Amino acid sequence: MLNAIKDVVRKSSIHVCIVNCGGCNGCDVECVALLSPRYDLEQYGIYVHNNPREADVLLLTGAVTEQWVDNLKRVYDKAPEPKIAVAVGNCPQSGDVFAQEGGHVHAPASDFIPVAAAIPGCPPRPSEILEAILAVGPQAIADRGREMK
Amino acid sequence: MSSLMWYIYDFARKAWADAFTNAHTSSEIAEKPERFRDFPKVNKEYCIGCGACTVSCPSPNAIKIVRDEDTEEGEGLTYPVINPSACIRCGFCAEVCPTDPKTLECGLNHLILPEFNIIPSKRQFIVDDYLCIKCKKCMKQCPVDAINIVNDKLVVDQLKCISCGECLDVCPVNGAMKGVFVENLQAQKDLILLCVNYLEDYINNKEEDLRALQIDGLLQYDVPLSEIWDKALKIIPDEEIALEIITNAVNRLKIRVIDWDKDKCKKCQLCIPDCPTKCISFDEGEDTIVRDKDRCLRCSICYQTCPFSVIKYFIAKFSLEDGKIIHTTVKASNLNENIFME
Amino acid sequence: MIVPIGPIHPALKEPIRLKLHTEGERVVKAEIEYGYVHRGIEKIIEGQTWQKGIYLSERVCGICSYEHTQTFAETIEQISDVDVPVRAQFLRVITNELDRIQSHFLANSTFFKSMDHETLFMHVLELREYAMDSIELLTGNRVNMGWNVVGGVRMDADERHFKPILENLDKIEESFDRVRALFAEGPALALRCKGIGVMSKKEAIKGRAVGPIGRASGVKEDYRIGHYTYDDYFDFKVIRRNEGDNYARTLTRFDEIPESISLVRQAIENIPKGEVRTPANLKSGYAMRRNEAPRGEVTYMIETNGNLIKNISIRTPSIGNMDSCAKYMIRDVPTVADAVSTYASCDPCVACAERVAITNEHGKTAIKGFDEVI
Repeated sequence: MLNAIKDVVRKSSIHVCIVNCGGCNGCDVECVALLSPRYDLEQYGIYVHNNPREADVLLLTGAVTEQWVDNLKRVYDKAPEPKIAVAVGNCPQSGDVFAQEGGHVHAPASDFIPVAAAIPGCPPRPSEILEAILAVGPQAIADRGREMK
Repeated sequence: MSSLMWYIYDFARKAWADAFTNAHTSSEIAEKPERFRDFPKVNKEYCIGCGACTVSCPSPNAIKIVRDEDTEEGEGLTYPVINPSACIRCGFCAEVCPTDPKTLECGLNHLILPEFNIIPSKRQFIVDDYLCIKCKKCMKQCPVDAINIVNDKLVVDQLKCISCGECLDVCPVNGAMKGVFVENLQAQKDLILLCVNYLEDYINNKEEDLRALQIDGLLQYDVPLSEIWDKALKIIPDEEIALEIITNAVNRLKIRVIDWDKDKCKKCQLCIPDCPTKCISFDEGEDTIVRDKDRCLRCSICYQTCPFSVIKYFIAKFSLEDGKIIHTTVKASNLNENIFME
Repeated sequence: MIVPIGPIHPALKEPIRLKLHTEGERVVKAEIEYGYVHRGIEKIIEGQTWQKGIYLSERVCGICSYEHTQTFAETIEQISDVDVPVRAQFLRVITNELDRIQSHFLANSTFFKSMDHETLFMHVLELREYAMDSIELLTGNRVNMGWNVVGGVRMDADERHFKPILENLDKIEESFDRVRALFAEGPALALRCKGIGVMSKKEAIKGRAVGPIGRASGVKEDYRIGHYTYDDYFDFKVIRRNEGDNYARTLTRFDEIPESISLVRQAIENIPKGEVRTPANLKSGYAMRRNEAPRGEVTYMIETNGNLIKNISIRTPSIGNMDSCAKYMIRDVPTVADAVSTYASCDPCVACAERVAITNEHGKTAIKGFDEVI
């Protein structure tokens, strides 16, 4: 009974923190476009404030560069449980065009923190990000909340 | 008060009331419109396995060619497979695909005419002007007529060249037509460094022969390539490319070798201040002169300074014809004339 | 006391560390530390063909990504003396101006968000979506379009594309005046922007500020004048103001948008018929070229040998803008909140600015400022 109430609460109010690990900003701009009146993310109860201390979902964008190797784990530890990390775009998954001879990025991001879901595309269209977040996000947090017992 | 009136007036306008009453979610917020260029679609049956799409993809690991297993009905199909977490949706693979109708379709890119496609190939073919004897065998052999005479020199038109390699096979002069590998330049440099270091160590170890050499004499050795072949394959795994790079490098190589006879050294330390990279130093504890091989330029200043002919200077040349044995020839450098005159 | 505005902050889109020296509530000085976004793009492009280099150069920055590809293509065309057909030049102008419109809208909406004025943030983002629709119709993607090639543009456009673009521009113009008046004449915002973050003309020249940030302080430089297409076929006005505070910078960006809309309309009206792409005979050589990106002047220096690129060097406008922001704008600002909004008004694009990373012997990476690098 209590678990059912907790599930409903966790699914309908989600706080998001966008962590830019060193990308080109294309995916960030598409995430900001999600807040515009056309796509309107806030109608689903999702609130984007960039504070890791109060976040439920961490959105990772960008390939992990030299400076973020130590700091990514620290930011992940600051967020309280239950939390999930979602990788947006190709950079945190495979390094995209930067993982070649001459570039230095440490891809993928799942070497450093556990990533629960990934959205492909360079950059993914806002409609793709919306589809993925709504299909996966609330259920994943509710499951993680039950796991933490 | 006036600011309050201003705000009330602004929100009481008809435009605001219209927008408020007609607010609705647009129909396309969760679908992709047709004009958006999505991941490429693959039509398996048209693929001929040429590999142009894998060569021209800007992102590593995004596309690769796989082959199905053979079944009773026929051969297994060869077709490209796209990895969506690395593909950047640029449509370049659809542009360069040579089949008709195309195997890959991405947005509208498959409608681009084929005359604009320059496949970024692994090798670039260039003519060396000094060695070319203008026999024009390559011009006759080229299947797309890419070699022309410009300003009395033979030039390869990179736009037309399809990198088939026939001009390289038919050229009678070794080195006039070059097929330069344009990827993995760092690995090529590492491989050449490995060969040079190995050959120099080999010659330095033959101390008695070097010290007994007369002024007109020659030393000849046969160095087997198998000693470094395993390490070479670790740097560049492709056997054909590795052998070609080693052959080209070794055939042009000319090294200066320095031989240092420690028994004759009287520790006068005159060589130390003259060295331009300060690689010679005197070790107090061991009471010997030490030379740092990594910083030494082999410039011969220490050899010219030393009054006791401790240092000897040699030049070595190499030739690798059959891919197995490096023929080495060592002779004394011309600078050695003075010391042998005693 | 030093207040660090760290890599993750609600007002910042990109990771950067901004250190503010405060005395009580007043902010006296500011320092900027870069280094979080360096990916090594110039080293990857060395030794590759231009086909792969163009897709890498547009991922230097995702907000102003179109202008990077145009400058790259124009530099190689200058080395090889390629004549771009006129229809392709017009299509390039259309996409360039549409990209400028969406970038200015985004910069202004970030400025409003940093002051917590959510109404204008939402209004401006709504207008931006019309411009993004037009770009997607013409090129196939909203960001990182892949539209330019050496010798022209990739595909042709016709009536099916131009009619919806004109309709979208009409929709922007309907609401644009009202949104601009909400900012310029609304009483609350003016108090927070006028007179804050003032940079005089001499300081702008010394700090190498370019683009709309320099033009708001009186520096008269616009690299669209001097470009062969704009000189021959188009005419437009260069917007300039004298005050140099946050209000002037935002209004300069707002005022450039009607100019861009009229340029797109001129281009669609007068576009000639012809082909859009010519084959290019590539030569070896060196060239340098600069163009006007939405944030200022972007310079590309390329050296090629035939088909391959030997050396490339990219200089972006955000280096000078952010440096002059730290040195001259954030000086004696009343509160910390005003310092953050001043930083947001100078339109920072950190991914553009990260060309060099310096590692000291402990393995930590940090760059302090523009002067140390040069």
